[in-house]
Amino acid sequence: MCNNMIQDSKSRNDLDILKNKTNDISAFFENTLSAMDKRPLVGWFCTYTPEELIVAGGFIPVRIFGRKKIIKSESYFPINFCPYIKSSWESLLSDADNFKAVIFTNSCDGMRRFFDTTNKYLKDTPSYLLDVPHLRGAGSIDFFANNIGNMKRFIENLNGKKISRREIENAVSLINRKRKLLKKYSQIFTKLPEFISISSYFKVMELSMISAPEIFTDDLERYLKFIMEAGAENMTKLQPNYKNTPAIMIIGNFITEEKLWGMLSAMNLKLASDDLCISSRYFEKQIELGDDSDFLNLIAERYLNKPQCMRMADLGLKLKEIENNIIKNNIEGVIFISLKFCDTTLYSFPLLKQKLNQLGIPALYLEIEYNNFSEGQLKTRVQAFLEML
Amino acid sequence: MGIKDKLKTGIQRNLNQKYIIRLLDIISKKPALYAYGSTFSSLSDKYLNIFTIESLRNAYSDNNYPIGYGSLFLPYEMFHALGITPFLPEVMAGFTAGLGLATQTLKESSSNWYSQDLCTFHRSASGAVELDIFPKPDFVITTNLACDAAQKSFYIHSVKYNIEKNFYLIDVPYEYSKESISYLTGQIKNICMDISSKSGMKLDTSKFKEVISLSNEFRKWAIKVNNLRKTLTNYPPYYNGLNFILPFHGLAGTREAVILYTQMYKELKKYLDKEEKEKSGKNKSPKRILWLHLKPYYKNEIFDILERENCIIVFEEINYIHWPELDCKRPFESLAKKMLSHFLAGSIDNRIDVILKAARDYKVDGAILFSHWGCRQSNGGARIIKDSLNKLNIPTLVLDGDCVDQNNSSQGQVKTRLQGFVEILNS
Repeated sequence: MCNNMIQDSKSRNDLDILKNKTNDISAFFENTLSAMDKRPLVGWFCTYTPEELIVAGGFIPVRIFGRKKIIKSESYFPINFCPYIKSSWESLLSDADNFKAVIFTNSCDGMRRFFDTTNKYLKDTPSYLLDVPHLRGAGSIDFFANNIGNMKRFIENLNGKKISRREIENAVSLINRKRKLLKKYSQIFTKLPEFISISSYFKVMELSMISAPEIFTDDLERYLKFIMEAGAENMTKLQPNYKNTPAIMIIGNFITEEKLWGMLSAMNLKLASDDLCISSRYFEKQIELGDDSDFLNLIAERYLNKPQCMRMADLGLKLKEIENNIIKNNIEGVIFISLKFCDTTLYSFPLLKQKLNQLGIPALYLEIEYNNFSEGQLKTRVQAFLEML
Repeated sequence: MGIKDKLKTGIQRNLNQKYIIRLLDIISKKPALYAYGSTFSSLSDKYLNIFTIESLRNAYSDNNYPIGYGSLFLPYEMFHALGITPFLPEVMAGFTAGLGLATQTLKESSSNWYSQDLCTFHRSASGAVELDIFPKPDFVITTNLACDAAQKSFYIHSVKYNIEKNFYLIDVPYEYSKESISYLTGQIKNICMDISSKSGMKLDTSKFKEVISLSNEFRKWAIKVNNLRKTLTNYPPYYNGLNFILPFHGLAGTREAVILYTQMYKELKKYLDKEEKEKSGKNKSPKRILWLHLKPYYKNEIFDILERENCIIVFEEINYIHWPELDCKRPFESLAKKMLSHFLAGSIDNRIDVILKAARDYKVDGAILFSHWGCRQSNGGARIIKDSLNKLNIPTLVLDGDCVDQNNSSQGQVKTRLQGFVEILNS
């Protein structure tokens, strides 16, 4: 018995070492973080932006996270306005020179006004708004392909160089590879909550959107190799903390709060699935390029048919996507978390709540600010929710 | 207690569809309707109220015509051509405010998980839908012009009535281009054909032509009204250009809209003629205000204050005729162009162009942007609008408030801000 205890203790100790190593993201992604790639940056905001074309144009696509405290932004936008947009505007006001250009989408009313504001007050920063349809039919794909073609011309004008078909194919392959690896990482993460913390998971997701894709995918591939070699099978057996933990799904919008992820990690929350635009809505679905295919149409098709944002017209389809994920991942509770004043997300909750009631899945509703997080209050609510489950 | 107050109290006490139908049945009978109409002090107000009641009576009646919920900025010509009775939940939300029902409807929406940060036009309408006080629709048609809210809240209505398959979104592109016209024309045509086949109402080209022709007639009179207002400074009592939202949108393509705007023109013309005869009548010319966005639809002091301070609203952007004459031979394309040319579609520059044109045409001294709580599309551009008008030396007041929820607006603060603004105009 004593031997068993020593063995257990040794295993536990090894496990902790392994866990710490697995979650040392800055070590695994050292190349990504060292920003060795000196190509100019093109900023973007929404997952409907085809990064492929930015890469094909010779730029690094960088999602703007807007980590700035809102100060000057308050005089441009009203008090009850998307805090992510305000924070991103604050970033552009101070760091716009870092970008060769910025690409917006007409994701929502707020984003359209954000684009207008950038056009008016940051005239030296080239900006472009990609018109993304709200419908997904054949007519919409053709229309979107045409708009993507216009975006391609905008990128070409940035450095006065035509983008070749070969460059697009290479860029599509690269971004496809990134998406594939992120999906794999996501699958491993949901299987190994003991080893990969929620914080680490979302840190990697964030890096995937703000880094040179070639360097990032190489780092991610090495990281995944490490996790696999460490013995995924053995790790699964050693997960006492999560054995009887309910599987949770998080649904929301642009939730990037490190403190929130840290808080959920510390609570041993078992995140089994998500519907967020910094995770599955970003990496799901590939572009399949053929020999003689119309690449603009194929890109349009991928982006319109990826897991959809709440901004799309067919809320019924969105609810179906969520229902499928709930069933597939044996979800027992849903945390709905939205940034304040995000109309498209907030309007989805009444029907989502109905759907969850039908499925017998309890839900916790949270609205939060951006970069301004009330940890104590949220912790109490999440704890109470988990206890209830 | 006058007839209007009695109606209001009656609905407040009996908030159910049965009572509303009974009330509409009584009041829409010709003698009662005209007796009610005569209580209004101006001809335009009288016709507005009569046509509104008739429109509501149709929506609440069992006349075998399908009912279509529609969001504000749709081309209602398609409803009238298809024989669909339109019902505009957002406009009706304004009525819930005017009738003192918004507290109940908003409470109901909150209990159905609508966040309090959302637009109260949509929240109040959703509450009314949940309370079953709106008529049951056969079709729900909406658009993303001019905001995100309608496409979301209207979809929820379609689920409530179990008619998701009869939910249609008209997706208005960002830019006015050849491709956008084609994309939008295709959508409108497909929707009309689908509704026609589902409702069994034939897509009658001659009916479409008649509706388009009436719409053009309405447009012609509305332009005449707008032109006349460029010089008009005296208005009929209680005239408010922000009251004509229903006919301007929902009745476009009907004879009623033509009658209303013809009467409005004649009435205002009389005032203008009188004004020109008595040119020296007023010692101090009023300050001319351009009104942006909508207004509170519950009882409020804003317009009384402005009148007391010798200010007049010379124009409201919402009454701007933005679309070209419709082409009877190309109805779907014409309606697509009508939608695409809306100044709230696409870039804020489209709106700014209209605002600056109106500021010049109507020789305004100042502008008031009513900042309705939760209206991101409008309020998100407030700074740009203000800066653009400032370039013409036109002061702008961004007046925070709520068009529907009386409890979300401080009357004292509104008064102070309006008075401060008038001081600036007079300085």
